[in-house]
Amino acid sequence: MQSTTSRFGGSAFRNLNLRRYWLDNVRRSWLQTIWLLILLLVTIWFAIGQLQEHFASTIIIFVVWAASVIWTAVSDVRRSHRPMTLWLKTNLYGSLSNVVLSLLLALILAFIIIGFFDWAVVRASFSTNPTVSKIQLERKSVDGKEGAAWGAVIDNFRNLMVFRWPTDQDWRLFAILLWNVILLIPSLYVFRKEVFRRSRIRRVLTTLWILTPFVVFFLLRGFKSDGLFGFLAGPIPYLNPDIAWGGLLLTLIIAVFAIVASFPLGLLLALGRRSKITGIPAWLTYGALGLIALYFFVTRSIPALAEAQTTGAQLIALWPLLLLLIAYLFQRYYQGNVVALASTVYIEVIRGVPLITVLFMSIILFPILLPPGTEILSTWRVMVAAALFAAAYLAENVRGGLQSLNKGQYEAADAVGLNTYKKYRLIVLPQALRAVIPAIVGQFISLFKDTTLVAIVGLIELLGVANLISAQPDWLGVRRAPYVFIAVIYFVGSALMAWYSRRLERRMGVGER
Amino acid sequence: MAESKLTPNPSGGQESVPPWRDIRIIGIFAQIAFVVLVIMGAMWLLGNVTDNLGRLGGFRCPDGTSSFSCGYNFLKVDSQFDISESVIDYDPSDTYGRALLVGLMNTIKVGVLGIIFATILGVLAGIARLSDNWLVSKATGWYIDLMRNTPLLLQLFFIYFGVILLFPPIRDAIQLGDLPVYLSQRGINMPGPVFLPSFATWLAFVVAGIILAFVIWILLGRREERVGKASNRAFWVVFGFFTVSIIGWFVASNSNKLDQSFMIAKSERILAFTDLADNMERRLGAANLNEIDLMVEEGELTSEEVDEAAYTLCVISESASEVNFTAELRRLNIPYTVNRSTRPDQATAKYAAGECEIYVADTVILTGERPLLEDPFAQAIVPTLERPVRISIPEIEGLNFVGGIKISPNFAALLIGLVLFTGAYIAEIVRAGIQSVSKGQSEAARALGLSESQRLRLVVLPQAMRVIIPPLTSQYLNLVKNSSLAIAVGYPDLFAVAFTTLNQSGQAIQVFLMVMAAYLTLSLSISALLNWYNKRIALVER
Amino acid sequence: MTVTLPATDYSKIISCHNVNKWYGDFHVLKGIDLEVSSGEVIVILGPSGSGKSTFIRCINRLEEHQEGDIIVDGITLSHDVRNIAEIRREVGMVFQQFNLFPHLTVMENVTLAPIHVRKWSREHAEEVAMKWLTRVGIPEQAQKYPGQLSGGQQQRVAIARTLAMEPKILLFDEPTSALDPEMIKEVLDVMRDLAHEGYTILAVTHEMGFARTVADRVIFMDGGVIVEENEPLPFFNDPQHERTKLFLSQILNH
Repeated sequence: MQSTTSRFGGSAFRNLNLRRYWLDNVRRSWLQTIWLLILLLVTIWFAIGQLQEHFASTIIIFVVWAASVIWTAVSDVRRSHRPMTLWLKTNLYGSLSNVVLSLLLALILAFIIIGFFDWAVVRASFSTNPTVSKIQLERKSVDGKEGAAWGAVIDNFRNLMVFRWPTDQDWRLFAILLWNVILLIPSLYVFRKEVFRRSRIRRVLTTLWILTPFVVFFLLRGFKSDGLFGFLAGPIPYLNPDIAWGGLLLTLIIAVFAIVASFPLGLLLALGRRSKITGIPAWLTYGALGLIALYFFVTRSIPALAEAQTTGAQLIALWPLLLLLIAYLFQRYYQGNVVALASTVYIEVIRGVPLITVLFMSIILFPILLPPGTEILSTWRVMVAAALFAAAYLAENVRGGLQSLNKGQYEAADAVGLNTYKKYRLIVLPQALRAVIPAIVGQFISLFKDTTLVAIVGLIELLGVANLISAQPDWLGVRRAPYVFIAVIYFVGSALMAWYSRRLERRMGVGER
Repeated sequence: MAESKLTPNPSGGQESVPPWRDIRIIGIFAQIAFVVLVIMGAMWLLGNVTDNLGRLGGFRCPDGTSSFSCGYNFLKVDSQFDISESVIDYDPSDTYGRALLVGLMNTIKVGVLGIIFATILGVLAGIARLSDNWLVSKATGWYIDLMRNTPLLLQLFFIYFGVILLFPPIRDAIQLGDLPVYLSQRGINMPGPVFLPSFATWLAFVVAGIILAFVIWILLGRREERVGKASNRAFWVVFGFFTVSIIGWFVASNSNKLDQSFMIAKSERILAFTDLADNMERRLGAANLNEIDLMVEEGELTSEEVDEAAYTLCVISESASEVNFTAELRRLNIPYTVNRSTRPDQATAKYAAGECEIYVADTVILTGERPLLEDPFAQAIVPTLERPVRISIPEIEGLNFVGGIKISPNFAALLIGLVLFTGAYIAEIVRAGIQSVSKGQSEAARALGLSESQRLRLVVLPQAMRVIIPPLTSQYLNLVKNSSLAIAVGYPDLFAVAFTTLNQSGQAIQVFLMVMAAYLTLSLSISALLNWYNKRIALVER
Repeated sequence: MTVTLPATDYSKIISCHNVNKWYGDFHVLKGIDLEVSSGEVIVILGPSGSGKSTFIRCINRLEEHQEGDIIVDGITLSHDVRNIAEIRREVGMVFQQFNLFPHLTVMENVTLAPIHVRKWSREHAEEVAMKWLTRVGIPEQAQKYPGQLSGGQQQRVAIARTLAMEPKILLFDEPTSALDPEMIKEVLDVMRDLAHEGYTILAVTHEMGFARTVADRVIFMDGGVIVEENEPLPFFNDPQHERTKLFLSQILNH
């Protein structure tokens, strides 16, 4: 492979060895031959189809492809590559199969892009007037294929963002936005600079950030009197979350609440799962569970055994003996550590079941599990369920961070005399959490996407609004445009967070070692 | 741990430690306090449940009292709701228990298929991501980013409501090229295999063929070692396997004559299947049935004439006999029309009324039905050749497709969504796995003179697998858990059926416990299986 | 099981009687007896796996011994949380891998324990910390992070961190083993100064020069027992025990 652009004199075709090229690119193995053949057939089949469908663009692609292939080949044979041809050679036309593959892929991509463009722009209607939109779409449609009804999105823009949030209360949302922006701008600077490490401004900012959730809650929920103790006067009825929160607003509330609220619980679960607290002594475990087993054996098993007709029923009647097995396993694998056992069971059960079951449980089971007469809004229930769910995943992330920490750090903290609480607060957690920030951001992204599931349990978040649009008499059956619109919102949000997380990771990697 | 050596207090008699400062006693006390707290919490919840159930009326025993032990009696009650698709037989008169089982089977079905296809897609995309072709690698990257950065539920809704439900109705179904694959609002219809009774015989031969292939592989391997010369092992293995399988095919086709045709002789003599062709030639005045199309084209025959001459068949819907018989007719280019009945007695009635010339069913039905006809012995039972497997091809009949495999739009949306979504994640895992194998390993392999395929097969893949398996396990688990989103596209998976059950029976707690237990069992089985595999391939390290 | 104890000699700052420890079925420490006077410098030698590190880690309860007594500065090591905390305040430890806290600056590393354990004000702690950093010769590195320092500098920070707690006893667990040769000296110099200042020192090390010139007593451990103990001169010149001779010959003649 030549990487220089220097020219060698003499015949241009001195370097052309067609036989060698043939052997390398076609006949090296029978697998390669078959692959090439299939590739050729598929490409020809697809190209013919495209010629009929989009004649002009196909021809242009074909000409560009042919020209660049010839240019690259000639440059290669003459060993006079320009940066462009060299790039083409290494990235697109490296081998015969790559030459064909590049054409095929260019055609496919053109097909997708042109198709999308046709739908989103050429055949689309931007009119917010449903009648006009319908006429425009019909007139522009080709072979019955209609474009996007963007009017539905534009018409419903407010619904998508905040759904039924009262217009006269918009100042609350702007206030929240303002609060966050005002905090964010100095934070980006202060938290990055070493100079501010022990400064008062950093402490003030931290305190304000900690206060943020409460401020946001007070503004969102809305209380009758806006003083410090205004909440005593009671909430404003028409800002009831089940009614007033919706759209993107609800999506963000649930995602942010879940990740923030899951933090303390997740931390405790992770620490609990790894805890090495002295366990309950074996004699106590066996004694207690043995007594319980005996009690149930006498009160349940003996009568059941008397009644049982089949061997299966007899075996089932012996269930109290399982308690002894549990006691044994508990001592064997957890050395009597109930805290570790309980944390592990919680984490694994939650991680083993789908989010949708947890959400439905919050809707259906919470009322059964709470004292009769307790009424809790669905929004609260769903938010709590999402937080409980997120905690299990967060715990596993934090546990990974704890495990990645060197044993020497624990020992050094012990050796300088820190007690357990300070050891974790000052030494272990700061390092462990920093190590798992990317994982936590990743989890936040998936939580952000998973909030769509609350649409299934009847809360109207972003996806819920999109579904409602198609049920509006004006925009009956319009689905694709709203879906694509919210897909863009999710895509941009997730991609931004992923990008930030990667940047953070790189920066921390540099800072630490 | 040597228990006895752990406990002695080193301070001996010198200074006894007060219990509130003894680290062990503090620990045990904390544990017991925790247990008490948990038990109190559970008691509180249980108390609330009992109070609430008093009002809601769950856990009702047959004698009218309420007890937790009666909580699962509802499983034996008739469900009285229908499930749109099912792997096993089900109808509304079946119990809730069976309904939940149907849901579980549906979940397993979509889970297994999803895992298989997502793995294939993910591996291909992962390799494509590493392709030296810039376009291939970029395009795959876009696909991965698009899937990973948008919610799965949105993708499912888009596929279901935004694509599949916007397909044309059945009569305008989109045909893929010239293939007998049809896309419509009602899902996907495509050819699929139908297994006839003789399939079992053939399967035995195939298994024997596989065993033979193994034996040949081992024996030739030993011989190679002894002689020290490479033989054409792969060829003989393939040859041996195919020989046995092909012999098996013919044996199975000719030994089982269970599937037979039954027809009125009318004025024509029919003793064997081939007579049908001769008769048809005579009816149409054609020398060769293969020329019918040509004759129609040239105007020697009208298509009405062909339709008139076509044999009319009375068949029982969804029977293997029909597929077997019509496949043979198509092979010989014999025109036919089909008249379907749901039960044999209906078909017999139609046959007796002269609505069809040929009655197609298996021998057991035919011999049972023949005596019911007016002139039993004027009807001959004629055997047809039975292939172990026939391909059934979907055809539009009225407002429905007949034959072939039907994939409901709900199932298609769910499966496609899950596969595309999980495939993107698997692609990233595969890419990371392959990249994790250091360049030095590839260089060492090349230095040893291994070929490219040997390098991939023997050096890179085994090492990449170790990195791939653990995250792959969690993706498989995610796929199974995500299949619960079926409820959004109307596919009756475990969760959807459980939800209906819950709404109808009101037994919320039990249903939730069962659903969670089922998902946990599925999750644990998958991770146990893959952990076992992972342990087997794990690197032995100091 | 009762152990009859000799009367505690309070002039001894550390006294160990019949210390036994098991890892599962593996008997690591087999009845170690040791008395250390205040201000004494003791170097512990021995092949790897001889239990020497485990032994000194038992003295500040990083490892739990299962039989016998360890009394440090009149405080018995037991399951009593208060005693453990008190002993750790009196006993400083320097590790082979430094174990500095990478997320804190050098200054924060050194002031952490004084502020949070001794409850000093930040100003006072920083003053003391600066004094110690100057003593170990790296005052200018105070605002850097451990990752930005060389191994020798890191180990000196670790020593300063230990000294800032004003301990009576210093434990060194192979403090120079993870260092590049040219950095060993700077750490040994600091240790030598400390020895002359009257700290009680227990050091596990392979630095024979240090043992020869600084130690008051050299202890040789093998297989979980103290095989031989003596003053450095007779220990190196006239080892009594076969295993000691073998060990010294392997260490010195290569």
